[in-house]
Amino acid sequence: MSPLIFLVLLLLCLSGPLRSQVPTRAAGIEAEREKKAAVLEPDEPTKAEQVLTRIKDDKIVERIQAGYNGIRGKLGGLATGGGFALGPEYAREDLAGGKLHLRTAAAISFRNFQRYDLELKAPETRTRPVFFQGYAVRHFYPSLQYYGQGPESEKDGRSNFLYEDLAIDGTVGVAAGKGLRLAASGGYLKVHAGRGRDQRFASIDENFGGGVTPGLDAQPDFARLGGYVELDRTDNRFGPRGGTYLLANFNHLMDRGRGQYSFERLDLEGQQYIPFFNQRRVIALRGRTNLTYTRDGRQVPFYLQPVLGGSDDLRGFRPFRFYGDQSMVMNAEYRWEVFSGLDMALFFDAGKVARRRADLDFSNLETAAGIGWRWNARNSVFLRMDVGFSHEGFQVWLKFNNIFAPKLIHSSSSQSVQ
Amino acid sequence: MCSENAVKKAIHTFVLLAALLPLAALPGGEPRFYPDDPLLVEPPPRDAGKILGRKFSDYFDFLYSSFGNPAGADPKAPVPRAQTVNTLDEAMDSAWWQRRHYYRPMSIEELVRGPGGDRPPSAAGKWTVTASKNEGVTPGFTIIDATGEKYALKFDPIGHPEMASAPDVLVGRFFHALGYNVPDNYIVELDPDRLEIRKGAKVKDELGKEREMNSRDITEILMKVPQDAQGRYRALASRYIKGEWAGPFRYWGTRRDDPNDIVPHEHRRDLRGYSVACAWLGHDDSRSVNTIDFVVEENGRRFVKHYLIDFGSTLGSGTQKANSPRSGFEYLWEFKPAVIQFFTFGLAVPKWAKAHYPDFPSIGRFEHEKFDALGWKAEYPNPAFSNRLPDDGFWMAKQVMAFTDDQIRAIVKTGQYSDPEAEAWLIECLIKRRDKIGRAFFAGVLPLDRFSIIDGRLAFEHLSAKHGFTAEPQYQVEWAVFDNTANTETPLAGAAGLQVPNSRAEFLKARIRGGEAKKFVDVYLRLRGGRREVVGIERHW
Repeated sequence: MSPLIFLVLLLLCLSGPLRSQVPTRAAGIEAEREKKAAVLEPDEPTKAEQVLTRIKDDKIVERIQAGYNGIRGKLGGLATGGGFALGPEYAREDLAGGKLHLRTAAAISFRNFQRYDLELKAPETRTRPVFFQGYAVRHFYPSLQYYGQGPESEKDGRSNFLYEDLAIDGTVGVAAGKGLRLAASGGYLKVHAGRGRDQRFASIDENFGGGVTPGLDAQPDFARLGGYVELDRTDNRFGPRGGTYLLANFNHLMDRGRGQYSFERLDLEGQQYIPFFNQRRVIALRGRTNLTYTRDGRQVPFYLQPVLGGSDDLRGFRPFRFYGDQSMVMNAEYRWEVFSGLDMALFFDAGKVARRRADLDFSNLETAAGIGWRWNARNSVFLRMDVGFSHEGFQVWLKFNNIFAPKLIHSSSSQSVQ
Repeated sequence: MCSENAVKKAIHTFVLLAALLPLAALPGGEPRFYPDDPLLVEPPPRDAGKILGRKFSDYFDFLYSSFGNPAGADPKAPVPRAQTVNTLDEAMDSAWWQRRHYYRPMSIEELVRGPGGDRPPSAAGKWTVTASKNEGVTPGFTIIDATGEKYALKFDPIGHPEMASAPDVLVGRFFHALGYNVPDNYIVELDPDRLEIRKGAKVKDELGKEREMNSRDITEILMKVPQDAQGRYRALASRYIKGEWAGPFRYWGTRRDDPNDIVPHEHRRDLRGYSVACAWLGHDDSRSVNTIDFVVEENGRRFVKHYLIDFGSTLGSGTQKANSPRSGFEYLWEFKPAVIQFFTFGLAVPKWAKAHYPDFPSIGRFEHEKFDALGWKAEYPNPAFSNRLPDDGFWMAKQVMAFTDDQIRAIVKTGQYSDPEAEAWLIECLIKRRDKIGRAFFAGVLPLDRFSIIDGRLAFEHLSAKHGFTAEPQYQVEWAVFDNTANTETPLAGAAGLQVPNSRAEFLKARIRGGEAKKFVDVYLRLRGGRREVVGIERHW
């Protein structure tokens, strides 16, 4: 037998036993474990995962949001048209053992819009339903848009004006339970309105004189007294899918000069969210009217008039497109869930401004329609994009808030600039 | 110097040897059955060495599972059968899972007791608070009772009393009876006066900064949780697991520092089957962060034991709110349904959006009408769940079906729901979901189980028939002599029916068909000590 044939036979004979080295099932498992034991290594997550774990455990996002010792950066928050804004904010919620909250902020935009505010409040607690709030704000907006008075104003009439104010207000109220809040408030407002600083557009005084624009020639100080009743029965304040929200806010603004511009203003708002298909579909309805009352030939200054147009009401029109003594707007949205983090909406807006309350009817409404996207996290909308179409073209809105989010109701400052 | 012939001969020899060598490694030569088969219990674990206690990121888990391929699976390749099974197609007792209720019926007392059941926090003496958590979704304390036992106390959300604490207790008992390792949980009544803060106890604030704890921290936590009409606080007390914390396990791969962890988790029968139990109990939060490994010492061996934890987001609960109606039907992010919704303006209404949920704040959203046993999904893809094959589903479904109505009622009682209607609804849902699971998963295979030989005949249970889902079919049995070494078979002429043929062959194989032709079961019988025994089961579908 040649050595080669011998080797081949030997190999074939050995192959069987070689293949059956493991005599038992248990031994096979033991052998696998032994093999693994020889190559053990720390079971560390990848670097990327470690970073994500640290971000969560060390609350990096929360710390950035909270800032350093209460000091943090703040984005946005200025009037539409101001451009990208940022600034510092200082907030404390631990004063007097958490009974007192303090917040102050400054913001400036690339178009030099500025806002400075200070808020001190004692929110209601479980055992004490009364709340207090002091709020002071200063705005410097060099170029707010203005198209003229009333519903007939022309898109081509776009002009701009400077708006500056300082408002100081105090509010005391009671959280009566089940979403009901009642409050009384008072404040003082100093305003200056003048030539717009945006050279791309005509200044307000070039297109509209003081004769047709009440309050353009002189801006008195105002004292304000008012109160509001708010009922929030929505299921989630930051992204409601069901429930009702109602607000009635009445204010008497007293011209501290010659009294020419004293007036009363009543703001009424109702929101209804009608969920169906387990809240994955929602019809959202909102109606809002802003009524002003004057006597003895007095007028409402244009910068304190109700305004329509923009991301929150008539979304197919430019911001501040319509000024008038009276306004009403109705919004309807059909929303549907695309996936857990995104809802979409089809919307229809209709509204008008008017000189007289009697003209606030359903004729000659300005209308807009469009589509929107609402991104949410933890049941709160944090970003929305709405594209609105109207006979004046289309507008794209990108906002870091929810549509119909309640505005400040405790400030004497103009609605336009909030 | 070598001659030319010698060189050629050497080359020929080398080439021939190289060609023949692989023969030695050819598969198929291994016996199908070893002498110790069927192995009911895994061999005792090797002593664990240094095990790293580490955390995983739930964001990473979500992103990687939703948009990556964590298990590295080839999407075109067929999913292999589960690997941690014995020759009877059963999972083996291990550090992951133990045979319990289906295999050795537990009494109602045992089911209700769960993994412990006799060590709630002591009602005598103070509860010493050693830490507290006043941030995140679930505020709570860590306490040590007068006997020195340590517990985590957690609370229900305001507006949903009982919704998180009840499932944390009762679902733990179900999972325990289904064979898994779970913590020993209790519902307790908290008297704030019983709490005392240990000197030096720390608390983390909302920004994660640690500071010394004071009585106000306890007050603040209790302000965030519901009180009953008598002003009492209900809490979940979860007894600390003994051992060294080693962090969660993943549903893919193995722990690289554990010598006993040799089968990729996506191929573990106990984890694939877990998906069915999660479907039954509405546990869509069954992700990695809700598991935990502990290095324990038992019977003189130190090894990693794997636990399921945190069941507060089951049975319709979303821990802090009612669970989303999407839960169990769609992933948080799923491309196809999202595209459909995007382009249809929501007019294509998913069936789950039409489900009816009675208004029970203590339950959240739990139902049985729309429940889809086969199509149920966790919050995001889970490689072990995605790998579930019909035999994996059958394995857990038969365990789920082992709970009788009365047993379900008894376990639900441990949740201590104060609203009898809510409790009744939960029981109804669990019974009906159980039956849906049985029907669905038993239909995936020929549902035969509990094989034995009685009076020379092959005996078994047809589980669908046993539970009244279908009639028992006529069986066709083909017998063969099985060669365990060569893994070949020779038909036995003349043998038919369930009577075991009179053969002296060591191994016999019976192929049983009944109903659908493609669904059959191969049963292997071994002759040992003069008696035939069932040594192997293989299901085909």
